[in-house]
Amino acid sequence: MNSNIKLIFEKGNEHPIRNYIPKMDVESVEINEILPINLQRKDLPLPDIAEVEIVRHYLKLSQKNYGIDTGIYPLGSCTMKYNPKINEVIVRLPGFSRIHPLQEDKQGALELIFQLSKMLEEITGMHGFTFQPAAGAQGELTGLLIIKKYFEGHGLKKDKIIIPDSSHGTNPASAKMAGFSIIELKSNKEGEIPLDHLEFAMQEGDVAGIMLTNPNTLGLFERQITEITRIVHEKEGLCYYDGANLNPMLGICRPGDMGFDIVHLNLHKTFATPHGGGGPGSGPVGVKQELVAYLPEPCIVSKDNFFSFRDYSEKSIGRMKCFWGNFGVLVKAHAYINALGAEGLRRAGQSAVLNANYLRILLKEKYYLPYDRMCQHEFVLSDKNLPNEITTEDIAKRILDYGLHAPTIYFPLIVSGAMMIEPTETESKASLDKFVEVLIKIHEEAENNPEIVKNAPLNTLVKRLDAVLAARKPILHD
Amino acid sequence: MDYKLPSELKYTPTHEWVRVENSLIVTGISDYAQHQLGDIVYIELPELGAIFDKGNVIEEIESVKAVSEFLMPLSGEIIEVNEKLANNPELVNSSPYGDGWFVKIKISDPKELEKLLSLDDYQEVIKKDEK
Amino acid sequence: MDFVPHDKDTINEMLNTIGVKSFDELYQDIPKDLQLDKLNLPEGLSEPDILRELETLSQKNSLYSSSFLGAGCYYHYIPSLVDFVISRSEFYTSYTPYQAEVSQGILQASFEYQSIITRITQMEVANASMYDGSTALAEAVIMATYITGKKKVLLMEGIHPEYVEVVKTYCWGHDILHEIVSDDTFLSKLSDDVAAILFQSPNFFGEIADVSEMVKKIREKSPKCLIIQSMTDPTCLGILKPPGETDIDIFIAEGQSFGISPSLGGPGLGIFTAKKKYLRKMPGRLIGKTKEINGEKEGFILTLQAREQHIRREKAISNICTNQSLCSLAALIFLVSLGKTGLRELAIQNFQKATHVKQKLEDIPEFSILNKKPTYNEFLVKCPNIDDFLNQCKQADLLPPLKISNYFPEMKDIALVCVTEMNSSTDIKKFVRTALISSQSKNWRD
Repeated sequence: MNSNIKLIFEKGNEHPIRNYIPKMDVESVEINEILPINLQRKDLPLPDIAEVEIVRHYLKLSQKNYGIDTGIYPLGSCTMKYNPKINEVIVRLPGFSRIHPLQEDKQGALELIFQLSKMLEEITGMHGFTFQPAAGAQGELTGLLIIKKYFEGHGLKKDKIIIPDSSHGTNPASAKMAGFSIIELKSNKEGEIPLDHLEFAMQEGDVAGIMLTNPNTLGLFERQITEITRIVHEKEGLCYYDGANLNPMLGICRPGDMGFDIVHLNLHKTFATPHGGGGPGSGPVGVKQELVAYLPEPCIVSKDNFFSFRDYSEKSIGRMKCFWGNFGVLVKAHAYINALGAEGLRRAGQSAVLNANYLRILLKEKYYLPYDRMCQHEFVLSDKNLPNEITTEDIAKRILDYGLHAPTIYFPLIVSGAMMIEPTETESKASLDKFVEVLIKIHEEAENNPEIVKNAPLNTLVKRLDAVLAARKPILHD
Repeated sequence: MDYKLPSELKYTPTHEWVRVENSLIVTGISDYAQHQLGDIVYIELPELGAIFDKGNVIEEIESVKAVSEFLMPLSGEIIEVNEKLANNPELVNSSPYGDGWFVKIKISDPKELEKLLSLDDYQEVIKKDEK
Repeated sequence: MDFVPHDKDTINEMLNTIGVKSFDELYQDIPKDLQLDKLNLPEGLSEPDILRELETLSQKNSLYSSSFLGAGCYYHYIPSLVDFVISRSEFYTSYTPYQAEVSQGILQASFEYQSIITRITQMEVANASMYDGSTALAEAVIMATYITGKKKVLLMEGIHPEYVEVVKTYCWGHDILHEIVSDDTFLSKLSDDVAAILFQSPNFFGEIADVSEMVKKIREKSPKCLIIQSMTDPTCLGILKPPGETDIDIFIAEGQSFGISPSLGGPGLGIFTAKKKYLRKMPGRLIGKTKEINGEKEGFILTLQAREQHIRREKAISNICTNQSLCSLAALIFLVSLGKTGLRELAIQNFQKATHVKQKLEDIPEFSILNKKPTYNEFLVKCPNIDDFLNQCKQADLLPPLKISNYFPEMKDIALVCVTEMNSSTDIKKFVRTALISSQSKNWRD
C-alpha cells in the first residue's frame, strides 16, 4: 500500500519486548494449571515494537496537532485558555497521583475536594457541590436528576423542561436522559429569552424548570435574568445554570445571585484544566441549600478539620460515577483558583470580555454581526454578505492555512452560517491583532480570489477531508 | 431553485412522495427533501411486515450534519423495503423517484389517498418552507 | 499568579478601540445589583507558594511501599513512555478535533486506539472512549434498550458494587427496570421483556466465568436478549479469551490499568465496544479514516456524528460530548509499549503471583480462600481477625486489601486481596508474614 499514513501497527518486529515487566521472582505454577486452556486466547494480535520507534511515531503525530500552546484557539463556548504548566507538576505529585480511591488514609485528597467545593461555592453563590460528574454533559444529567428527584419527593408531576433554542446540544439530550420532555423557547430579536413566551410556557403546572446558559451562546448577558428566574420560581419551577460560559462572570457576578438553584461548571473550560484532545474534563454540580440533600453520595463533610462523609441521604439521587470523579482534574482546578485568587479571577473574567469585544469591534467592519451590542466572552458572526458564495466552512478552513485555529462554526443554530468566536483572556493584543489581520485578509481573498478560499486549506498536511465518504463507508479501525 | 417534481405523483407536507401501483403504494422522499438534506450517508429501514399508522416515524435518514425522519405517508403494512439503500444511500440523492424509493406499503385505508397533496399544493409547501 | 498578558496601557488602548472608558462599561448589560465588589477568596499565590501548599496537602495522603488493594483501581507498571507522550502539549492542550486538517495527530492516535482495542477484545467496533467503566456500563444499558425497544435489564451478582449503583441511577433517569440475579436464578429470569443481561468477568470477587458456556445458555433461552460484559482490569486479556470470541454483544471495561495512574480513581478510561450491527446505536465519539475530497491522501476525521447530541439533540442515545481522549492515548501507548509479548507476560505474571499468594495464605491456620472458580489477580480470603490484619498491613507499609463488608455488610471477615506484577517477592513475604502474625495474635487473644 502506498499510503501517506503509517499506523503504529506497521512497525512491528519479531523481537519480543519485555522491557516493562518486572522479573518473575516467586515460585510459580504453570498458567495452564491456573487457567483452563478453553478460557485462554489463542492469539494476541499486537506488534512488539522497539521503544525508539514508538517515541518517534508519536512525536511525529504530536507535531501534526494544534493545541493552545501552538496559538490562538478561539472556539466559541469552549474557553480554550492557557493551561498553566505548574498544574502538570502538581497533579503528578505522588501524594495525588498514586493514591487509591478506597484507601482509608486520604485526608489530603478529601480536604482538597472540600476546599475546592468551598471556593466554587463562593465563586457561584451556591451552597454545596458534587464532584462526581466527569464532564459538563454528565453534570447536566446530574442536575436534571436532582430536579427530577426533588419533584418526585414533593409528589409533583413535573416532566417538562424549558430549553432555549440557543442552548448547547447536550442540554436537550441530557434532559431526555433524565426522562424530561423538552419545550423549546425561541430567542427574540435581541437574542434573549422573551419573557411573555416564558410566562406562557410556565402556565401549565407540569414544567419542572428551565435550563439556561448565561451569558448565552450568542455571548450576550440575559438582561432580564432576575425576571426569568422569578417567573420560573413563581410557578414552582427550578432554574438550572449551564456553566459552560461562566468565564466572563468570574468575580463579576454569580449564578446564585441571579436566582439559579443548580449550576454545573466545566473545570476544563473556566478553570484552565487542559482539554486533552477531547477529555478528560470535570463537571461539578453546585446547588442551593434546599437541594444539598439531593446531591449524589458520597458527600464530604468536615468536622474539626477532619474530613469524612455525611450520613446517607434518603433524598440523594444515588451515584453518578465510580469513586470520586476525575480527581486529577480537580487538583489542577484547585491549583488554578488558588494561584489566581480573588483578584486574579476577576481580572481573568474582565480580560475575557475585553478581548472578545476588541475582536468584535474590529471584525464587524468586514463580517456581518447579527447582534451588534456589547458581548461578554464571545460573539457570533454570520455568513450573510460573504461574497462569491463563500461559506463559513471555507473561511474556517482558510484560517488554518494561516497557521491559526478556526472558531466554532455553524453553532448556535439560530445564526445562519455562525462563526462563534471566544478568544479568552490569555490571548495578548498582538495575538488578537494577528487574528484580525488574517480574517480581514481572508475577506479580501473571498472578494478577489475566491477559489483560493473555496479550496482551502492548501497549506495543511491534508486537504479538506471527505466527511460523506467517512460516514457512508465507515472505517473505524485498521 | 428548480426541483424535479413529477406531476403524476402525490406528496405529503413532510416531503414524502407517493405513487399508486395497484393496491400498493411506493414511496420515497422528494427531490426537494434530498436537496435539503444534502449527501445522505445512512438510512435505517423498517422491518418487513410491520404495520404503521399514517404519520408514524418509520425510518431515519442521516446526512453528515443532520438527521431527518421519514413519516409513513399512509396507514398500512410494509410489504417491501429497498434493500439497496442499506449499502447505497446515495441512490436517494441521485434518483429520488427511481432507484432511491424507500418502501412499498399495502394501505389499509384508501380514503387517506384523497388527503395527499397534488403537485400544485406541494409547490406551495416548498415555497413556504424556503422562506 | 496571573496569566493575562496585558499591561495597563494595552488595556486602555483596547478599551479605547472598543469605544468605552472602563471595564464597567463592558458589563453594562449586567444589572448593577448583581455585580460583585470582590469574591471572598484569598489573594493569589506565586508558583513556589502554590507548589508548597499543594505538596503539603498531598503529604496528608498515605503512600505505601506496596499495595494489595484493587477493587476497580489497580497498580500496574506504567512505562515512562506513556507520560512522555501524553505530556506533549500539542496533545494535551488541544480541543476535540473539530478541525481535522490541523488535528491529524490526535485523530490518528484515536484511530489507533480504536484499532488496538478491537485487536485485544476482538470486538468489531470500539469508540474513542467513555468517562469510565461504570458510566460505560450504564450507557451500554441505555443502548440495549434502544436496540431492543425493551425497558428491563438483569444484572448478575458480581458486578462492581459502585457500577451497579451508577447503572441504577441511569436506569431511574430512563425509567428502565433492573433486577439483580444470581448464577442460579438468571436463566429463570430471562423473559421476553428483558433487553439485556449484564455480567462482569473477572467479577468483583476476582472470578472468571466460563463465558462461552454462559452465553450459550442465555442464547438458548432468550435469543434476542443482548449480552453485556464488563471488566475492571482488562490486563487479563493478555491471556484470557477475548469477548469477541464468546459472542458478547457489548463489551465495556475500565481502562485505568492501561497506563493511567490511580489518582484517587479518576480520570480513568471507559472502554466501549460492540458488534458492528449495533454501530449506529453506539454512544460516544468515533474516528474514521477517509480521503481528501479533491485528492488522494488519506486522513482521519470525526465520523457518524449524526448519532451524537449536537446533531440529534433530544433524540440522541447519549448526551456524552467530552470524553477521556488523553487517557485513551495513555492506554494506546501502554499497549503498544508492552506489545504482544509484554501484555501476555503481564497477564500470566498476575495470575501466577496471585496464585502464589493464595497458596501461602491458605497455609495459614484459620485463613481460607473462598473462590471456587479460577481467579485473575484478585481473590477472597476469609480472615477471622480482619481489622487487626488490615492494621498490621499499614504498620508494615503495605496498602491493605479491601474489607469487603464495606460494600456487602453481610460478608464479614473477608478481604478482597489484589496481587499484581508490582508486588515483589519481598512485598509478598511481608504480606504473608503480616497475615500470619494477625492470625497468631488472634489465637493469643483467645
